[in-house]
Amino acid sequence: MVVPLYNEESVIGDVLRRLRSTFPNVVVVDDGSSDGSAEAARTEATWLLRHIVNRGQGAALQTGTEFALARGAARIAHFDADGQHRVRDLLEMSRLVASGDCDICLGDRFADGAKEVPRGRRLLLRAAVLFHRVASGSELSDVHNGLRVLSRRAAERMEITADRMAHASEIVDLVTNSNLPVRQVPVRIRYSEYSRGKGQRWTGGFRVLLHYLVGRIFG
Amino acid sequence: MSPFQWILIGVLGATLGANVFATTTRRLAPGTGVLFAILLVVGILAAIDPDRVTRVANAVGIQRGADLLLYLLVPSTIAGFLAMYVRLRRVRREMTIVVRRLAQLEAEPGGRIGSEEVAGNDGHDASP
Repeated sequence: MVVPLYNEESVIGDVLRRLRSTFPNVVVVDDGSSDGSAEAARTEATWLLRHIVNRGQGAALQTGTEFALARGAARIAHFDADGQHRVRDLLEMSRLVASGDCDICLGDRFADGAKEVPRGRRLLLRAAVLFHRVASGSELSDVHNGLRVLSRRAAERMEITADRMAHASEIVDLVTNSNLPVRQVPVRIRYSEYSRGKGQRWTGGFRVLLHYLVGRIFG
Repeated sequence: MSPFQWILIGVLGATLGANVFATTTRRLAPGTGVLFAILLVVGILAAIDPDRVTRVANAVGIQRGADLLLYLLVPSTIAGFLAMYVRLRRVRREMTIVVRRLAQLEAEPGGRIGSEEVAGNDGHDASP
């Protein structure tokens, strides 16, 4: 379990406690938080890795994934630190990868109608899906869901080079080009006041798009 | 010549001198040094005799020397920005690799390290 962490001091303790009730091995990557997030995570984490300066969520995920692989992980899961994902969804996804049903299992918040997704965010995410359908030939129906489980061989093949939020788009390309079995599983996202306050806005969406396009042009 | 021309020639000349020094002492790549030197010499010649630029402009079908300079300035500025951006991206990526490696080398066992650290002990473990 890889949890990228950045300034989530008020929620990270509860998130990790929920996770650890089902998943005992949690690698937390503190991405240069300026609050007490790392200290709050230390007691509940199995391993705590710290970026000495902020490098973005993509960089933190790659750091944790490499660390987990080096320690012999059979599967790698990515789980957001703000508490918006459900452990039961992760459990189901993990079982699918463990059973060999797929190598890459991605959360899909739209499979059940996405009633809980705020309207503005739904439009933004739908636009992202459409963009990737055209730009990458992706058939995924939720391209910016941070909940994912990878088999060891899938994780070994994926190298996230987009440091910041464009990593989600990069992962879509990596998934599309991996030729590994992929499944999307219906998941629910908890949109609390807290997570809404921290989520992507339209301006952020354009920034992600710009970083993604620049990354594709310049490598 | 006007005072502005003298100032411009002085600035360009000093830059040329610094460029030659940086190139000969290998602080600047030879190719880059020669390119900068050519541009600076052309700039000095243009400052000494602005009509020369107009004659060159006329030769390529442009009426004024100032227009020729503008047309050359726009693509070269864009190319300069792109080159710097690519370099900045490379430096950022190298910085991330260093930060990542440091984080991995200095990984701290958390409060829950112990028997659970054996992978797969719960049958549905998705972690190291």
